Amino acid sequence: MELEETAKQHYTDSERQQIFDNEFMPHINSMYNFAYRLTLDQDDSKDLVQDTYLKAYRFIDSFQQGTNAKAWLFRILKNSFINDYRKKSKEPSKVDYQEVESYYNSEEVDRQITPDLRVEALKDMIGDEISNALNSLDVDFRTVIILCDLEGFKYDEMAKILDIPIGTVRSRLHRARNLLKEKLSEYAKQMGYKTA
Amino acid sequence: MSNPDQSRMKQDCANKKECMQMLQLILDGEATAEQKDHFLKHHLDECLPCFNNYHLEVAIRQMLKSKCTGDCAPQELVDSIKAKVIRNLAS
Repeated sequence: MELEETAKQHYTDSERQQIFDNEFMPHINSMYNFAYRLTLDQDDSKDLVQDTYLKAYRFIDSFQQGTNAKAWLFRILKNSFINDYRKKSKEPSKVDYQEVESYYNSEEVDRQITPDLRVEALKDMIGDEISNALNSLDVDFRTVIILCDLEGFKYDEMAKILDIPIGTVRSRLHRARNLLKEKLSEYAKQMGYKTA
Repeated sequence: MSNPDQSRMKQDCANKKECMQMLQLILDGEATAEQKDHFLKHHLDECLPCFNNYHLEVAIRQMLKSKCTGDCAPQELVDSIKAKVIRNLAS
């Protein structure tokens, strides 16, 4: 459960309460947003956040005070999502991730995806376009954008949260951003913007 | 980075793929000072596609932040978590 292999702590009840209140609870809004963008369902996201916080409390001795509590919590949430929610999620049956990744890593796709999107078109997207575009991405691509662009995690933190090498973080982010731009270009076209 | 005369800039970038990767590194805060310096102070002033990409990438990140964050977790969820933890402590 822990991010680093650290010695188990032995906190007193008051220390636990203090860590929970001061280091864990301040991230509740980010955690809820993460859960919502993973499950795309309000009830599921509440359950997921609650499960995560209770797990965090149960395993609090694996958390070392002064280390990155937010990354630690995000990792627990991500694991809970994969183990408990992904199976029953309403998303259409998943394509094998390896397949998706190797497809998107091919040079072929790099040529196809030309970001012909313009800043002016983007600035006119004042509704839910951005949010919908993000939510439309495959969950693995969505996740890296959430972690990096919404929550500001560094690549090494993302690698630990997702249990993948840093190189994979980078390539997945690169693909995710291309896919997001592709989606946004579609919206721009629908809005009547001519793309180059 | 100033506001360069676009007509005098390169209209095509020979290293588009590498430049895009560098751009991501810089905006993600993962580039070194030298990489940032070279790209932002020199390359962007002379390369139109990269100049445009830079502004697009910045705009997308700003939009993502402003449109996809900022919602609060429901209060009932916060209360329920706190109550369960306190009960846990008492037991």
